Amino acid sequence: MKLVPSRSNFETEPAAARQPAAAMIEIDRVSQVFRTSGRQDHLALSDISLTIEDGAFVSILGPSGCGKSTLLYIVGGFVSPTEGAARMKGRAITGPGPDRGPVFQEFALFPWKSVLGNVMYGPRQQGVKSAEAEAQSRALLEMVGLKGFEHFYPKELSGGMKQRVALARTLAYHPAVLLMDEPFGALDAHTRTRLQNDLLNIWERDRKTVLFVTHSVDEAVYLSDKVVVMTRSPGRIKKVVDIDLPRPRRRSELLLDPRYQKYIVDIERMIDDTSENELRP
Amino acid sequence: MMSGRALLGRLAPWLACLGLLGVWQIAALILDTESFPTAWQAVRAIPSILGDKESLINILASLRRMAIGFGVGVMMSIPLGLMMGRSRGVASFFNPLLMVIYPVPKAALMPIIMLWLGVGDVAKTLVIFLGVSLPVIYHSFQGAKAVEEKMLWSGAAMGLSAAQRMIRIVLPAALPEILTGCRTGLVLALITMITSEMIARQSGAGNILFNALDMGQYDTVYAMIIIVGAMGIGLDAAFENLRGRLVKWSEPGFDIPLSFA
Repeated sequence: MKLVPSRSNFETEPAAARQPAAAMIEIDRVSQVFRTSGRQDHLALSDISLTIEDGAFVSILGPSGCGKSTLLYIVGGFVSPTEGAARMKGRAITGPGPDRGPVFQEFALFPWKSVLGNVMYGPRQQGVKSAEAEAQSRALLEMVGLKGFEHFYPKELSGGMKQRVALARTLAYHPAVLLMDEPFGALDAHTRTRLQNDLLNIWERDRKTVLFVTHSVDEAVYLSDKVVVMTRSPGRIKKVVDIDLPRPRRRSELLLDPRYQKYIVDIERMIDDTSENELRP
Repeated sequence: MMSGRALLGRLAPWLACLGLLGVWQIAALILDTESFPTAWQAVRAIPSILGDKESLINILASLRRMAIGFGVGVMMSIPLGLMMGRSRGVASFFNPLLMVIYPVPKAALMPIIMLWLGVGDVAKTLVIFLGVSLPVIYHSFQGAKAVEEKMLWSGAAMGLSAAQRMIRIVLPAALPEILTGCRTGLVLALITMITSEMIARQSGAGNILFNALDMGQYDTVYAMIIIVGAMGIGLDAAFENLRGRLVKWSEPGFDIPLSFA
């Protein structure tokens, strides 16, 4: 296999500060064309190259329709890129696998399974014994704050609780990378904030690699080590911004932090430049 | 202790039946023709039919054909419908075929099928099978088509193969819709059972009915109609009971309390 060095967009980062951490995900000159009958072909992604290091929390930020979710689906192996390739730990991604765990905006829980049944599904599929899978799943549910809801069905839960189950279900099979596709997009502001805080707390524990798609600038800055700002269709990488804010992050402190505020203003201006209209902040 | 409203809700189907019999009784008394017996005359004829060994054997033979036709129909239609729902190729192959068969009354095929298979059980069971298949295929197809892509992706990420996703995600996710098709299929099985026996007169509940009609035994004719109707209600109630247990997890929908379950 030919290993093409991916063109780094991290020019803003001083070379000395660069971690020697291994590349977890490499996206190498990926383009995606959607062929639609009747209409013109739609270029969703154009020549995207990006490297995501092991343990990094990286957000892909852009207006709706910029192909940011498509990029995540390509890394997930759910969609094959028209051109270019995505690699994980140097190996070409050819399909979905338990090393990359998705969390979708639509939750996508199995409605015929209880909360516990949903979380146990992955470990059971991987051959973990029932009692062991149950114990792990109960612990995970406690971690996401759903102790006592093990035997509820998804339809009996609120949106925020469903997304907690979805997160636990994905964490249960220990993916090396979490792929989060606007996971809090369907939630109200209050629930969204709580889930962001909980996600940060969980992430602080094991520092999994996270690829997080969002159209919310403050969400991206609050959570991430790097924010990849994309342009509107065709989706291109406009800039990769390193978020140099201390961790663990406290929302109450960050909101008063001028650096945090400056990141948000800068990034919003960047997006304004690229997408004149139909901008979703 | 049941509230008045709840009690009324439970009694409503029975009250509706009693009301129907009452209207029938009055209409028959007013019309006063030999070919339209009163409800009471028809009800009085039921015990003699059910008490007669010959009639019972006929009715049980009908039910057996219906059970086989329904069972085989469901077992073949669900996989076909699910595959059509998940594969555009399979759907575009089978859709035209099904569209041709759909509007044809299945009993109208009976004479042709009798030419091949005779008037025995096989021909009648085949017609029931055809009657059951279409609604079950259609609803399985719709159910499978509606399965959320992201749910399948979640399964794929857990390591489920395409075949496993079909059996362990598409099938359960589509189950509420599949069972709606099965419920329609069950009623259609009963209808095709009677009509097939109307054409191939040899045995069965339909045979009793039409023989009685030929002989002008109108109370028996109407008694058989009541029996067939009661079988329909009973089967539907039993099925709804089973369905409620299988898909209690699905979204609560408004169900017209049609059944006695």
